[in-house]
Amino acid sequence: MRKRRHPRPAQVVFAVWMLLAWSLASLAWAADAAQQGYRLGNGYALGNSGLRLGGYSDIKVHALGADPWEFTADDLSLFISWDKNGPIRFFAELESADTFSASEHQSFSTRNIHFESERFYFDGLINDKLTFRLGKFLTPIGHWNLLHAAPLVWTGQRPVASENLFSTHAAGAMLHGTMLVDSRQLDYAVYGDVTDIIDPHLSDNPFKDAFGGQVGYQWTDNLHIGISFANFVLKDHVDERKSLVGFDALWKLKKYEISSEIVYRNKGNEANGKAMLQGFLQSVTPLPSHWFLVSRYEAFQQLQDKTGHVGVIGLAYRPSPPLVWKLEYRLGVNNDALAPNGLTASFAVLF
Amino acid sequence: MYRNLVLILCLVLAASFRSANAEPIAVVTSASSPLNHLSRDTLKLIYLRKIQLDEQGKRWIPTNLPLASPLRNDFSLSLFSILPEEQEDYWNAQYFHGITPPPVMSSEEAVLRFVSSTPSSIGYVRKTLVDARVKVLLLLSPGTKP
Repeated sequence: MRKRRHPRPAQVVFAVWMLLAWSLASLAWAADAAQQGYRLGNGYALGNSGLRLGGYSDIKVHALGADPWEFTADDLSLFISWDKNGPIRFFAELESADTFSASEHQSFSTRNIHFESERFYFDGLINDKLTFRLGKFLTPIGHWNLLHAAPLVWTGQRPVASENLFSTHAAGAMLHGTMLVDSRQLDYAVYGDVTDIIDPHLSDNPFKDAFGGQVGYQWTDNLHIGISFANFVLKDHVDERKSLVGFDALWKLKKYEISSEIVYRNKGNEANGKAMLQGFLQSVTPLPSHWFLVSRYEAFQQLQDKTGHVGVIGLAYRPSPPLVWKLEYRLGVNNDALAPNGLTASFAVLF
Repeated sequence: MYRNLVLILCLVLAASFRSANAEPIAVVTSASSPLNHLSRDTLKLIYLRKIQLDEQGKRWIPTNLPLASPLRNDFSLSLFSILPEEQEDYWNAQYFHGITPPPVMSSEEAVLRFVSSTPSSIGYVRKTLVDARVKVLLLLSPGTKP
């Protein structure tokens, strides 16, 4: 019997990049649409109803660790917002994840598709410094988790520290706002995750209950720093209450960027628990013609293994901010479980 | 040596000439608004959509001019020290949270009309265009690219 030849990861990456070239056509489409009042990355307003529709999409191919290569139309997220310039506004993000997938052992399929309500909340504006939020929202820990959409981040794979030690979503109530301190912007948020009723479709690794807060301060025109705190019980580990503190910093000058996040989670009330520290440092350097060089170092303590270390080197092509092509390679030690070695290529668009 | 000195002198004179001719930017609101003044820092947060309510509890409606407008450039450089197109990353991030940039008016006259008839709206025009329909909350010097 003739042995079936499987394409190699490099061939797949190349093929997908070629496939993604069709999306260049979307630039022309966007230019046409711009003349009709639509701009890529701004959504589409439905008349004067206050409703706006938009979203983002992410197509990815990766060959990581010992796993076969895999192609996924990873996220197709739809934003629905309503804002009539009154004291109440609404926002929801509905996501179809793994919409299309294919891999070395599977032809194109939609069988992994699943739908999630990533976020849905009402904001009630109380005064110029205070807003009350009710619903499901992103957990305000660090910088990456709050802006994790593929078109807004520089790599196709998330840093471990941006998601491993806490639930990326919370469902409950939040007070948040912005004020001036020493003529600089200070953002704050305090929240409580109180119920599953608000979040019938639970995210991965969800909170059972939690409370926490975050403060971000624009230290200089170019430097933003933030600290986060959370105390929580995870749904899969209901006997363990843990606390987490985080620090994040983002420095930007022109198109150069350096960012870092560090999170520390204590062992909580678990006798055999393990406190864990994770973090990353990432730099972005602009190159000619809308290309960017991205490099990242990550270190992460983990439950089952020694401390993992990985380095990521990649290129990103951003012809305009709502569109990005990315190609990256990740290599490390003690990283098989959380951030395996391998190549990832992706295309993302905010629409 | 003398040639360099003359060149530097010319550049200094050119810079002075520009600032002498640069018309102040007037940040305006409706003439009937109870507000009489805005600080520069507060204005910044209003245009970043970080402050959403005014002192009366009504929603701020900041307005912009088109990207191609030289006054939009001057306003952005004066307030944020960056060009309008350099804010696109910021607005993409805000869009991810359901917040959109200030609406764009087609001209300074359109700003004056909109602001004069829409409570809690603000906009900016050249100082010489200010008339009785609006009141000036703040004067900004046109910014220059750092």
